[in-house]
Amino acid sequence: MVVTRRSGFVKRRNQDIVYRWDGNPLISICDLDFKCSDVHNAGAVSFKDKIFLLVTIEHLSGQRSIHLARPDTDGYYQVDRTPFLKPSTNSKYKQHESHGVLDARVTFLEGTYYIVYNSLGEHGFRLALAKTKDFDSIERVGLISEVDTKAGALFPARIKGRYARLERPGYGSSIWITYSDDLIYWGSSELVISPREGFWDASRIGVGAPPIEIEQGWLVLYYGVKDTSAGPIYRVGTVILDRQEPANVIGRANIPILSPRGTCERIGDVPNVVFPIGAVIDSNGYLDIFYGASNSCICVGTTTVEEIIKNCIESEQEY
Amino acid sequence: MTSTRLQRRDLLHRWEGNPAITVEDVPFRANTVFNGTPVVTENGVYLLLRVEGQRGYSFFALARSSDGLHFAIDEEPAMLPASEGHFALYEKKGIEDPRITVIDGICHVMYTAVGTCGPRIALAKTHDYINYERIALVSEPGNKDGILFPRRINGRYARLDRPLGLGRGSIWVSYSPDLINWGDSEVVITPRPGYWDDFRVGASVTPMETREGWLEIYHGVKMTSAGPIYRIGVVLLDLDDPSKVIKRGDRPILSPREEYERIGDVGNVCFASGAVLSDNGDMKIYYGAADTSICIATCTLDQILKDGF
Repeated sequence: MVVTRRSGFVKRRNQDIVYRWDGNPLISICDLDFKCSDVHNAGAVSFKDKIFLLVTIEHLSGQRSIHLARPDTDGYYQVDRTPFLKPSTNSKYKQHESHGVLDARVTFLEGTYYIVYNSLGEHGFRLALAKTKDFDSIERVGLISEVDTKAGALFPARIKGRYARLERPGYGSSIWITYSDDLIYWGSSELVISPREGFWDASRIGVGAPPIEIEQGWLVLYYGVKDTSAGPIYRVGTVILDRQEPANVIGRANIPILSPRGTCERIGDVPNVVFPIGAVIDSNGYLDIFYGASNSCICVGTTTVEEIIKNCIESEQEY
Repeated sequence: MTSTRLQRRDLLHRWEGNPAITVEDVPFRANTVFNGTPVVTENGVYLLLRVEGQRGYSFFALARSSDGLHFAIDEEPAMLPASEGHFALYEKKGIEDPRITVIDGICHVMYTAVGTCGPRIALAKTHDYINYERIALVSEPGNKDGILFPRRINGRYARLDRPLGLGRGSIWVSYSPDLINWGDSEVVITPRPGYWDDFRVGASVTPMETREGWLEIYHGVKMTSAGPIYRIGVVLLDLDDPSKVIKRGDRPILSPREEYERIGDVGNVCFASGAVLSDNGDMKIYYGAADTSICIATCTLDQILKDGF
């Protein structure tokens, strides 16, 4: 599937490091066989030799839920009408998910697919964790963060024997790492990276796709926001973290690898947004990045891990 | 002497010797002293004080008393922000608002570590009130007012804390098997629109186990055009599940009225930070006044349970 689409990646725009697929958008609400307000942000996972996506659907009511999207033969996707995960009516979760569940980031860890998602309730955002083995059924593990924390992603391996996640607590708008022995109780939080004054990621940052293990450590795609007088601009940045001590930064690119430029990235419910919560690496070192565009459709782009690493380590020369 | 007219408005009785501790009583140079947490020892009542130094960051000092009213402060600070190691980054702007809980016979201090990336809750312990061993940073950033319960609840340690959800500021309860890793957070109480605590609430005093439930003395904030008003309120929580509120007082039990509560670095603040309950049911409540001094108010447990709600 990916291979057949590989040929369709067009020349980069404005020298962006990510090449966009010329069939974008990959998923738009016009393609759905049910009514909804919006589709945004796709978690991506390699499952049975295919790339499955977990997209966030904003329903006409305004509530959000997470839906499974399966690849078609033409490279496009079919989105299930029935939610894969919807706000729970169970008393433990109800008040924390009453406004929706969204932004599923999928991590394959020890034989199970774990999904960290944002639960939105009357008290604000929290991270929640669910798991599946087969993408038919899903089981909630727990609400795993304090309130006001969002954009959580589980590492695909234990670090020094402990589970670890990246996250974005509301306070300080930075990316943090938090550890756990059992996926239920979490602690030992440390600051990883913060917004940089004067840069494209000056206002807020948060993790995009779950960390990807590479030779140099952990490759992390993150979203960086710059607030302008007309609203925010969301771009995609990259950082490499130390394998054993991910709070230590090996290299952080000074420039984004993807910025809103195309029409569907510029125009939508939340304009000027590219938001990457799913990425899949293939054996040739190509990284397919699935990103929500303007909170209104899903797009895909590709680049090589090699080029990202080069920019994380050497980006001082870029301007 | 406080006038009878003022006394009638508040359930708590102000000690005639207020303010009990001011910066004049601190043996080293400091800006202000406020928010002291008490612990009963075999040598009397000790108060671990929050002192704000003149450079602008806070740290802790120890005050000792035989009667719980008249205190003498140690010559040197008891605990300073970490200057090296893992905690240094997160305590760069000071350590604030210590809250002592004795659990399993060990004196634990939960406090707010203030770093460049916001406040976090941290935990330390001490056996002599002079040396403090840091255990862990136990919350994410943006969280403060952490207080450990004095016993495990259904086998787990528990704390009250105050994350800033939606900028509102509610009291939550979180649990831990080991005091290091925390989870299962649940909401306890939220600000109430139209009430004296409609802007923010936070835990103030280590929860006290009573026959009717956990008594929590908390601070409630109302925002006015001239700034916040901090008052002291009470809530009773279920002994087995502190996220369940049994009852919550409609009115504060103490509000800023006296000059030392109205005037200071942060005026209009009564901020309870600890209480000592005697065997006969008499209670002394220690509170910071206007972020500038430490005061004492008294009551009985029965009065609070009867008239506080």
